[in-house]
Amino acid sequence: MPGIFIYSEDPRLAQQLLTPALELKKDLRQPVVALTTDPEAASILAALGADRVVVLRSALTSPEALAPAVAQLLAKEGAQVVLVGGTLRGKHLAAHAAAVLKAGLATDARHLALSDGRLVARRMLYAGLAVSDEELTLPALATIPPRTFPVPTQAPNPGVVENLDVLGDPRMTVFSSTPVQGEGVDITTAVRLVAVGRGFGHKEDLGLARDLAGALKADLACTRGIAEDEHWLPIERYIGISGQTVRPELYLATGLSGQVQHMVGCREAKVIVAVNKDERAPIFEMADYGIVGDLYTVLPLLTAALNKN
Amino acid sequence: MPKLLVCYKWVLDEQDIKIRPDDLSLDASRAKGKLSDFDRNAIEEASLIMEAQGGTVDALTYGLPTVKASVKDVLSRGPSRLLWIGDPAADQADAYVIANVLAAAIRKAGPYDLILCGEGSSDLFYQQIPARLAALLELPCVSFVQKLTLEGPVLTATRSLGDGTEEVRVTGPAVVSVLGEINKPRIPSLKQVLGASKKPSEELPLAGLGLTEAELEPKALRRAPRGFLMNRKNIIYKDADPAANVGKLVASLEAEGLRG
Amino acid sequence: MSILLTEEQQLIGQSARDFAKEYLEPIAVELDHTASYPAALVKNLAAHDFLGLFLPGEFGGAEAGFVSMAQVIENLSRASAGVASILVNHSLAAYALQRWGTPAQKQAFLPALASGETLGAFAAFEHGPRPGVGPQALQATHLPEGWVLSGTKAFVRNAGAAQVYVVLAGTDPAAGGKAVAAFIVKADAVGLTVGEPLETMGLRGCPVADLDFEHVVLTDAALLGDLKDGQAITAETFALASVAEAAQTLGIAQAAVEHAAAYAKTRIQFGRPIASLQAIQTLLAETATDCHLGRLGLLQAADLIDRGEPFRVEAAMLKQFLARVGSRLLVDTVQVEGGFGYSEFMPLPRLFRDIAGTTLLEAPADFPDATIAASLLA
Repeated sequence: MPGIFIYSEDPRLAQQLLTPALELKKDLRQPVVALTTDPEAASILAALGADRVVVLRSALTSPEALAPAVAQLLAKEGAQVVLVGGTLRGKHLAAHAAAVLKAGLATDARHLALSDGRLVARRMLYAGLAVSDEELTLPALATIPPRTFPVPTQAPNPGVVENLDVLGDPRMTVFSSTPVQGEGVDITTAVRLVAVGRGFGHKEDLGLARDLAGALKADLACTRGIAEDEHWLPIERYIGISGQTVRPELYLATGLSGQVQHMVGCREAKVIVAVNKDERAPIFEMADYGIVGDLYTVLPLLTAALNKN
Repeated sequence: MPKLLVCYKWVLDEQDIKIRPDDLSLDASRAKGKLSDFDRNAIEEASLIMEAQGGTVDALTYGLPTVKASVKDVLSRGPSRLLWIGDPAADQADAYVIANVLAAAIRKAGPYDLILCGEGSSDLFYQQIPARLAALLELPCVSFVQKLTLEGPVLTATRSLGDGTEEVRVTGPAVVSVLGEINKPRIPSLKQVLGASKKPSEELPLAGLGLTEAELEPKALRRAPRGFLMNRKNIIYKDADPAANVGKLVASLEAEGLRG
Repeated sequence: MSILLTEEQQLIGQSARDFAKEYLEPIAVELDHTASYPAALVKNLAAHDFLGLFLPGEFGGAEAGFVSMAQVIENLSRASAGVASILVNHSLAAYALQRWGTPAQKQAFLPALASGETLGAFAAFEHGPRPGVGPQALQATHLPEGWVLSGTKAFVRNAGAAQVYVVLAGTDPAAGGKAVAAFIVKADAVGLTVGEPLETMGLRGCPVADLDFEHVVLTDAALLGDLKDGQAITAETFALASVAEAAQTLGIAQAAVEHAAAYAKTRIQFGRPIASLQAIQTLLAETATDCHLGRLGLLQAADLIDRGEPFRVEAAMLKQFLARVGSRLLVDTVQVEGGFGYSEFMPLPRLFRDIAGTTLLEAPADFPDATIAASLLA
């Protein structure tokens, strides 16, 4: 039975995938089928609108190990559209499945639509320099970055959950794994952010940015160097092409020059403000408002002015 | 003595691509060809293995006929031999077609003990070819590798997956995709550059790879890309008095509903 | 440029550019301040085959030719003309040995020069007249014990760092400038002392000092070429120096133009980038044109050397053109950048001081004229 299939090993991301899937259902009029390995995640997906949820039961549950079995299942079921959560693991699985299905796959699709019976996916090229649409004949797959879509609201009638035993691919053995030492910070939901860069000379000087963030009820973010080289802030606060992407209402960049690799992560903010002592810094071209000045002078003045009532 | 293969792509240098302000179309007229960044890492990794253990490294590429310009550049970086497939339709090819072509070439020129690719190309960054290739060749795929060792038929690798790392082991031939952090590619010495023309390179005609029309028909059609241009207000306060600038900024934030 | 360069020459230029970006750019400013000889970097240059660039394969050289050499020097000079100077002066010694050495002399010195184990230097100048123009302060006298050299050579680049010197000495004070010969002198020769390092305005990082010869005794095997070859060795090695320095000048100029152009795009005055101003565009266009034409002249001269054809006249033309263009170009780019350009935290002041070294030294202004005129009026 043809269908719109979704899969992510990340339960929250899987829920987000339901939103575009349910939208596509309106045009394609095919059931939305969610694949998961987690029974708890399954009931939530069923409650949020999946028509069917298949719980894959296997000794090996990583996306990579499940890829061949998932591909086989998709082929057997005649899947027409497959949306996979765009984690690195998800991308691996999606590419494997695409090869088996002899299908096209759009990587990191940020927008999906149907047109003339084809799936149209919008994605970035050239490290963020450009955007282009890809038209894929069906069956088609797409990987979706986390937080591209919201989680849908509760559905009136929950879908059906079923179990399926599958064989994982044993050829790659995982003999050790080390999760990243995070501090459990998630700046991607912050409404306002104050970002810091190399303009700050010492770790203690970040206090100026913290005070400003306090006055604005904002959270703190940073450039790659501050997190990965200096280790002044945890990696989860690093915004950029291989870090977080954020869409806050206010992004206040202090002491950072505004290189493309950083700005790609925050350029969809509603309002961008910059403070930098170099008037030729690229950030000023990307800002709505800015002050040319020394952050050591400007930040305390700004904090005081904002706190004054 | 392992028989290694590295797949690479010859791309336009994205630094030379400009956005036309009137219609946001891309102007690549000044863009020069370059070896895709992470493929450079893959070639370096293969060369390092060969230097340590002997064996051979074949480099393989599929692109427009102009891909011939990449031959000496790539051979100067270590590989023993280069195989290239030139096809005027290559710029319309999607990952489905590219993987089909590469797999067919590998079936002809192989078998190989290890196939290395970069994580994704620096222009389109599909991040699909390695896993697709592995599926087509029925080999395991070890993706997103930041460190690897090959001992006989056993490949041990550390994968970096965003939320952590894992160490894996595969026995027998496999496809690997490498991350930029796996190594620092060396700059070819003059002798390596001059030695490149003495190494064998061969064109593999597309027609001779036994692919069907369906396998060469893209499933994904790319429409013309549009440049991403920031359209911001650019209201910059540059008064000599910082307090004056601050006053104006606070007023602006208030007007935007962003104060407090 | 690609129709004039082979693929290999382009790739070599690219390698040199990558090398410069990776290894020279990070140290260029510091090197200019400290002027301390970058020994590790020179080893790295050697590992990339730059020191034996045009030397024959039988001695371990890369045999890459002189067009490649021009590519390498220009690209290195974009990042640090001081480092390029070390390579240039080493190459002058290597060239003279390769060109005029006996098989025994070549076997004795070229392998180590090619591998970089030995750094070379060409000791030509003096505090008095140039070789070939007037009597030399350093005189070589043939005595029973061999050749005895006494006197001083001045402004010797790579002095102190080099292990072998090719030295121009007068052989007959009565004959004035005409009697000149070249000698191979090892740094450990008894009686040879390297003077105090000279603080130079630019090209810093390349050591410069006097060489004092106090009754230095050399065997006959130390004579490079025949006695009568002295003038040819002098003229031709200076011609090669002109070509090499042209490459340096172009590298420095290119760096200056690119920096000024990038600056002009971002510097906003009266609501527009200064790049939109006619005056700025004229300055940049003229300097870019000079660079382009100079580069074509450079490639042609280097190509003549590759073909083994005479190149002294073309080298003189290059020198003349770039001497006129070189410093004016720097004045123009500083004008574009204004107050910023004048500040030491920008690269232009260093480039200015470096280009003074590559265009104004080595030959008085009328020398190239005389060579060119002589070829026309002969």
